[in-house]
Amino acid sequence: MVEIFINDSAIKVKEGTTVLKAAEKAGIHIPHICFHDAFPPEGSCRMCLVEIEGHPCLELACSTQVREGMKVYTETENVRDARKGVLEFILAEHPMDCPICDKAGECTLQDYYEQYGLFESDFLEEKERKDKKVDIGKGLILDRERCVLCTRCVRFLRDITKTGELGVFERGVRSEIGIFGDQYIDNNYAGNLVELCPVGAITDKDFRFKTRNWFLKKGASVCPLCSRGCQIFIEYHPGFARFKVPKRVYRISSRVTSRDQSQKEKGYWICDIGRYGYSYMDKDRAENIILKQKNRPAERGEAEAFLGEKIKKLIYRNKLQRMGVVLNTWLTNEELFLARKIFTLDLELEKVFFTELDTGEKDDLLLTADRTPNKKGAEEIGFEINQIEKQKLFDETELLIVFWSSPFGLGSITELLPELSKVRTKILFTPFKRKWNDAFDLVIPTLVPAEKGGSFTNIDGKVQHFDPVLSPPGEARAEWEWLVSLGKEIEVDFNSYVGMKFPYDVYKKMKDKIEFFR
Amino acid sequence: MPEKILTKDFDVKHLFKIDEYMKKGGYKTLTRVLKELKPEDVMSEVKAAHLRGRGGAGFPAGVKWGFVPKDVDKPKYLCVNADEGEPGTFKDRYIMTHNPHLLLEGIVMTCFAVGIHTAYIYIRGEYENMAVRLENAISEAEAKGFIGKNILKTGFDLNVTVHRGAGAYICGEETALLESLEGKRGNPRLKPPFPAAVGLFQNPTVINNVETLSNVPCIMEKGADWFVKQGLSEDGGTRLFGVSGKVKKPGVYELPVGTSLKELVYTYAGGIKSGKKLKAVIPGGMSSPILKPDEIDISMDCASLMKADSMLGSGAVIVLDEDVPIIDVLRKVTQFYSHESCGQCTPCRIGNSWINKIVKRIYRGEGKKEDLDKIEKLASNILGRTLCPLGDAAAMPILSIVKKFRKELESFIKG
Repeated sequence: MVEIFINDSAIKVKEGTTVLKAAEKAGIHIPHICFHDAFPPEGSCRMCLVEIEGHPCLELACSTQVREGMKVYTETENVRDARKGVLEFILAEHPMDCPICDKAGECTLQDYYEQYGLFESDFLEEKERKDKKVDIGKGLILDRERCVLCTRCVRFLRDITKTGELGVFERGVRSEIGIFGDQYIDNNYAGNLVELCPVGAITDKDFRFKTRNWFLKKGASVCPLCSRGCQIFIEYHPGFARFKVPKRVYRISSRVTSRDQSQKEKGYWICDIGRYGYSYMDKDRAENIILKQKNRPAERGEAEAFLGEKIKKLIYRNKLQRMGVVLNTWLTNEELFLARKIFTLDLELEKVFFTELDTGEKDDLLLTADRTPNKKGAEEIGFEINQIEKQKLFDETELLIVFWSSPFGLGSITELLPELSKVRTKILFTPFKRKWNDAFDLVIPTLVPAEKGGSFTNIDGKVQHFDPVLSPPGEARAEWEWLVSLGKEIEVDFNSYVGMKFPYDVYKKMKDKIEFFR
Repeated sequence: MPEKILTKDFDVKHLFKIDEYMKKGGYKTLTRVLKELKPEDVMSEVKAAHLRGRGGAGFPAGVKWGFVPKDVDKPKYLCVNADEGEPGTFKDRYIMTHNPHLLLEGIVMTCFAVGIHTAYIYIRGEYENMAVRLENAISEAEAKGFIGKNILKTGFDLNVTVHRGAGAYICGEETALLESLEGKRGNPRLKPPFPAAVGLFQNPTVINNVETLSNVPCIMEKGADWFVKQGLSEDGGTRLFGVSGKVKKPGVYELPVGTSLKELVYTYAGGIKSGKKLKAVIPGGMSSPILKPDEIDISMDCASLMKADSMLGSGAVIVLDEDVPIIDVLRKVTQFYSHESCGQCTPCRIGNSWINKIVKRIYRGEGKKEDLDKIEKLASNILGRTLCPLGDAAAMPILSIVKKFRKELESFIKG
């Protein structure tokens, strides 16, 4: 440990820490544009210059390492003058089109001008004219006038994805970012460039001009689109009082920011599959409980009674071997724990299967081949992730309960469809309105992960808890709520389900029962 | 004329050929150095000679070599800076044209001293015939066993390669030179780490100017004491001054360090052309602050010029007479730096362009009276705040011109 003084207050930091990081630890923000935690210091924006006693010139906070007894000053006349100078330079050649810029409201340059600038412009010359909508691939649009040449994008593609699609071309004030000829950006992490860009130089077509970011609320969640479970923010529009907005979710962003040291090991990125694959949350959602025999939306109580009665009948007739259940790895740890408790332990069913995993190609960074969020959790809870054995599942089966949560693909459900008519009572739990829902006697609308609380266990065995971000559509409720009711309804082990009001109540039980979750 | 060291045989015909060079005693010292001396001896001799870098910064060469870590597993490199981009400078080409073997001999001794087995000569792309001449000289030296494997059967290996730049001023900055040599865009690197520790291909690297290295054979031949006596006690030897502009006899003059600038301009270069009056002298390449006629009675060495708030730089003396409008000078200076800024860091990229835009406006007759203050403010926002020395190199001359010729500049600004 080394003791240094920042603005005369002492702080102890590890050897090798940079002045910028040490100051951050002391709660002092030193403005910076080109520096990003994921990369080595670049030192090109010159925003982070600070005064260090004994040094003739201002020094870079981003790259200068601390020394025992070092005295750093971050708010002297000279430092403020330098910062203002840098801002003045950048803004001189900046197009100032904030009113039509998607980044406005979350723009580093805007924020710094408010904090450290606030000068009148005396730039009387003509600004450099550059291209304002360059297609650089993957739906990304580059505005070269807004660009401050921090080269974060270039460094990201060079160091992280190692695809190197972007480079700096030309020289001096004519310098500009660009692709090489017609080699467009083409990798699964391109969307990160939009977040990485400190200004509005890289925007994406998916979000461009759709809304203003200050209307959006941010909720922390975990990405369910592969088994990595990246931490994300779901950015949604809470709506206006007087008119409807066309959708709730406008974008997904990475939750690990450069200021969040504790999450460093997870990297700072999310993949484009996770970033852009959010439309399912607002599309074709099942909102009503459909009880076929009633031919009208049913009440929750009715549905619970219907389901409980069907199971209890089998219990009384001692025919539980005629009941089958299909689960999936989109369900949370809590839901799978409840499902195991009810179907495997309480009812001792033999026919418990899982739907086929959604799969895809894995890559070397984050994306896994398993495109469902909780296979590892299901395994730790005690399930074998077995393929559906159709013969066994439909043999003499009278009651079939299917949990279908995947927003994608048809998977194994299409294989089940032709056989369904053989089963007397079919019940479906699903967040989506799909054409096969009609084949079931009871369709219970459930939630997507963004709407429920719970936890997923990712491929690395890390359990990640999350709270609901979006409110449930219509009558839809989380699977765990339905399962708690069902557990009580079947009256095998009623007491176990008492007091389970929140996902964490279930998790507490899990911790008691299963070592892995302790 | 004082005694010449580097250029003494430059009038010999075909000196660039190894036979002529050897006839004049070339490579004799190298043979003695490699066979009789230890690397430490060479290093301490050069240190004692107070050989200062001839490229611009004037850093003592021996000290620079000493920064290279001794016991490392990594390969070490020598990069010879033959980019000679500083406007007004044309001395290195003089050496490379007339006596490439002198440079090569200096390279071999330097590499021997530091323990280097690979040297690159980074030469600016425009110096095509010098590059060819160097390549030929390398082949000749290889054939005679002065370069290559097991040099003079001493077991010392050295490979020398000529690499041609593609025409950017910034590539004369040592770390940008390394980037360019590695095949990347020539952007300067953040320092520290310094090239002596982390240089070419992340390995310890020495970077020296052509003229600096060409002095090494003379030091080893005649000794550090003799060398120091040729110049000043803290700044030894002679320097090649490239005099250009409005003088009667422009050209390269080899003179002892410490020669007076006035003497250089009036005695050696023959004074101002056509009987005009002297207006100003830029003493060390375009990035050195300008001197007025009453300031040129000054000793041409690093320390004295620094005291006068200027610098010796590359020793390129540019002489301006009374007919040269200072706004022209300012316009060309700012145009150059605006054009040659690599664009990596903010103050240099935008500051230089901004200043140039203001100067051009003044030049068009649209100047405003606040403009000069603004130029000074902008230049001081560049000075000392950029990633590499190019920012200073641009800000210093601009500040000195505005300060020293403010009256004249104001006369271009109406109302």
